[in-house]
Amino acid sequence: MARSRTSTTHRLHEAIRYHGFGIAAALLFLAPLAWSVLVSFKPSIEARQPPLPPWPVGGFSVQSYENLAQYGAGIWTYTGNSLIVSAATVVASVVISLFAGYGFSRFQFPLKNALFVLIISTVMIPFQSILTPLFLILTKLGLQNTLTGIVLVYVTLQLPFSIFMMRNAFDAVPKEIEDAARVDGASVFAVLYRIMLPLVLPGVATVAIFAFLASWNEFLAALILLTDQNKYTLPVLMAAVRSGQFGTIDWGAVQSGVTLMMAPCLVIFLALQRYYIRGLTAGAVK
Amino acid sequence: MKLLKIMTLAATALGVLSTCALAQEKVTMWSRSTSEAFMPALIKAFNASHETQIELQIVPSSEMVQKYATAAAGGSAPDFVSLDLVYAPAFAKSGALEDLTDLAKSLPYFDQLSKAHVGTGTYDGRIYALPMSADASVLLWNKRLFKQAGLDPEKGPTNWSEIEEAAGKVNALGGDVHGFYFSGACGGCNAFTFMPLIWASGGDILVDDGKRATIDTPQMHEAINFYRNLVAKGLVPESAKTDSGKNFFGGFATDKIGLSPIGAFAIGNLVKNYPTVEFGVTFIPGKNGGKASFAGGDNFVVTAGRDNTKAAKEFLEFVYSIEGQTLLAKGGSLPTRADIAAEAIKSLDERYQIATEAMKIGRTPSSPVYNDIINSSTGPWKQMLNEAFFGDDARGSVAKAQAAMQSILDSSN
Amino acid sequence: MTSQPQIHNGVPIPRRNQRQRRKQLAGLLFVSPALILVLTFFVIPLGMAFWMSLHNWPLLGKPRFIWFNNYTRLAQDGQFWASMRFTVYYTLVVTVAIFAVAFPLALFAEKSRKLTKIYRTAFFLPVVVGFGSASLLWAWLLDVDSGLFSPAAQSLGFTAKRVNLLADFDTTFWSIIIMVVWKTAGFNMIILLTGLQGISTEVQEAARMDGASAWQRFRRVTLPLMRRTIALALILSVSGSMLAFDQFYIIADGGPQNSTVTAVYWIFSQSFVSFHLGYGSALSMVLLVILVFISVLQLRLLRNPEGM
Repeated sequence: MARSRTSTTHRLHEAIRYHGFGIAAALLFLAPLAWSVLVSFKPSIEARQPPLPPWPVGGFSVQSYENLAQYGAGIWTYTGNSLIVSAATVVASVVISLFAGYGFSRFQFPLKNALFVLIISTVMIPFQSILTPLFLILTKLGLQNTLTGIVLVYVTLQLPFSIFMMRNAFDAVPKEIEDAARVDGASVFAVLYRIMLPLVLPGVATVAIFAFLASWNEFLAALILLTDQNKYTLPVLMAAVRSGQFGTIDWGAVQSGVTLMMAPCLVIFLALQRYYIRGLTAGAVK
Repeated sequence: MKLLKIMTLAATALGVLSTCALAQEKVTMWSRSTSEAFMPALIKAFNASHETQIELQIVPSSEMVQKYATAAAGGSAPDFVSLDLVYAPAFAKSGALEDLTDLAKSLPYFDQLSKAHVGTGTYDGRIYALPMSADASVLLWNKRLFKQAGLDPEKGPTNWSEIEEAAGKVNALGGDVHGFYFSGACGGCNAFTFMPLIWASGGDILVDDGKRATIDTPQMHEAINFYRNLVAKGLVPESAKTDSGKNFFGGFATDKIGLSPIGAFAIGNLVKNYPTVEFGVTFIPGKNGGKASFAGGDNFVVTAGRDNTKAAKEFLEFVYSIEGQTLLAKGGSLPTRADIAAEAIKSLDERYQIATEAMKIGRTPSSPVYNDIINSSTGPWKQMLNEAFFGDDARGSVAKAQAAMQSILDSSN
Repeated sequence: MTSQPQIHNGVPIPRRNQRQRRKQLAGLLFVSPALILVLTFFVIPLGMAFWMSLHNWPLLGKPRFIWFNNYTRLAQDGQFWASMRFTVYYTLVVTVAIFAVAFPLALFAEKSRKLTKIYRTAFFLPVVVGFGSASLLWAWLLDVDSGLFSPAAQSLGFTAKRVNLLADFDTTFWSIIIMVVWKTAGFNMIILLTGLQGISTEVQEAARMDGASAWQRFRRVTLPLMRRTIALALILSVSGSMLAFDQFYIIADGGPQNSTVTAVYWIFSQSFVSFHLGYGSALSMVLLVILVFISVLQLRLLRNPEGM
């Protein structure tokens, strides 16, 4: 009896410690995000004051969003560009890495390992260093200053991760499943599409989410490769907002832009978290 | 903000207009975002009265040089650019710009155009750039804070010790109020606002046709000591140390700063967006009086090999007409043609007159490596000032910068 | 059984060869879109970058072939080596800091209790925010007048006046370390978590039965079994940190006095601010070699048990 009570109190203490740590740590990680969202709803004047308390004292206001909306060609143009670029990058990354992952996992061909290493090792190279040649090549191809051009660059930058992910996903599928289907006379594409794709979906989700996050947030390449103001993506716009118009920083507008840029990332992650972590896990274990 | 909206509308309308006008000659032009207050209006007026149609695009100021240079290298550059005048020599040297010498000489009022602009637009004796818009550095003081501090609100300081004294008194008001402000981590801003202190005291920055740097001079040391003193006495806010120019104007606009050397652009901006700030405008003085100013603004350049000097001439004649100059002035740019400047600004705030005077005496160091030595955030000028204003070894920093600048100048030839 | 090759007079019949060749071709076809992209937008530009590094290549005007002059100039470029030193220092500190936070978080998040999933999600959320947005967010938090830390410290009475955290190297550096740990700890936590979950409970139990203490179990069982996972996390962290740019550019502008200019920042500055494309390319080549060297070294160390 006495023993069970001590073990109950012990368990209680343990639970308090566990959740105490959990809640404190979770708050630390969430606070900056919340802070940014809150300040974006302060009136402009209040947003440049020290942020204590963090919530808008004089009532919520969308003034900062209105200020942001009036930069350049209007916020919807830039949001639209960002969405187009991200969606295209996601689709292209998934298709290309699905094929390549399948190819590297299931087929033998000359130089296979060398080619795989070649693709994977591009991750070690700072792409900043090849931006100028990239610019010249895109110009030759007539793709400079187009959203298509920037999408191709983003897909390429995502390839090492995507292909690594997809090859591991295919490696994890037992060969027998495929062989059985092949015996039934199914074509290579049919096997890939009908049998393999459902089995590697978590990997596809990971590739898609990573491609989305990377292309939605990328700044430097967009800055250099897009010369037309109407083609800017959100991060490029935000750099201009942050650089201060006429030498004054509108922190409210900056944080409303940050909120606007964060929102889809957070929503997509929260919605697809299960696939995302599962896919990431598959990659990490291999 | 409302103005911006109208301008955006105007720009869209322009876009539509110019796509309709396929038969007419159509040229493209870039201009940086700091000119957003006057360029769209100017272009609109030009298009309304001319066959030639200009399609204007605004580029963020900080990305302008990079974008123009990459676009020129890739063959997708616009026909005309309104380019920060300090970059004209670099572009001229690279061969990216059309030679405008004949066009310039054909203008009857050529000798009335801003000398500083034409100076930076001249490379190897040929003219590649002509004045587009102008901004001159001046000293602003806050009349309300002056009054509160017991100073004469109608009289601006005329030498360094008067600045220091006034800044001290304003600073004593306490709270968030500070006496003086400058962007301590910004090369470009301090070229604009700090170099005049040296010029007005008899020193210079670049001599021998821009081939030799004269950084390590008594005037430089005195000017640095003047700023160091202001910092040491706590008259400058903490934020100045790391302000890379992003908040160049922020403190003054919120009524918290007694004195600040700023550009004439601030006058229109304050009147329009911060109508409650009462301020006066005067010249940036030398140690014992005198006056000087940095002539900033944009030069008009034509991308080489486009064969559209006719359109360029048409446009420039409009810019230098009384109508063009007035439109520029209304939007916040100073007139660039001296003989009609007074007329162009006569309907404007009288404080513009000081700025227009400053423009006439304005100077601009000219060098193809201006960016490397002055503007670059990793360059020697910014490094030196930041160390000298806030660090321990001002003398060493100056000597180091002198050597670094000279070596950049030497290696560029 | 089906794959048994048909033998005819002791020689495999050509059909097999043909099928094999077709399969080879199919494999190549599958990887070809990826290869084309990597060739066009990575390998060729990289080759061009090397070619450019042998030139005095201004953005405008004619490039001039100058052999290895850029490389000899680079050897004397004080800022480049200062940037390299800083980048390595940053990488070491931030990697240790990330592991110091991520490992306990992983051990914490491994338990399956109520709310654990929610905590895990909370720790992970900053990861999905881009480095650009995160930097803009922290640039504001660190601002001396409008930000959080400095005005808060003043109003709570810790400091007499507002302290500009970005005016001093140490405060700038540690502020950015904290920001990066906040941003990336969740990612490393998840990777480490997978490693932890990959260790079968029987192995842990067996070690417990043998009387191993918690620390011994961690040292002798958990760590060795997680070598691959740690290697992955380490490589990602180190190569990511060696290429750090956004946070130093957006938050600190490389200041105070160029002390937080990283290697990539200096390359960016030479290539896209000063437009010394040839010289910038030479800098990139050197950074590239150093990075590859570090990655190989890491892989070696972590594959070899003695290296642990």
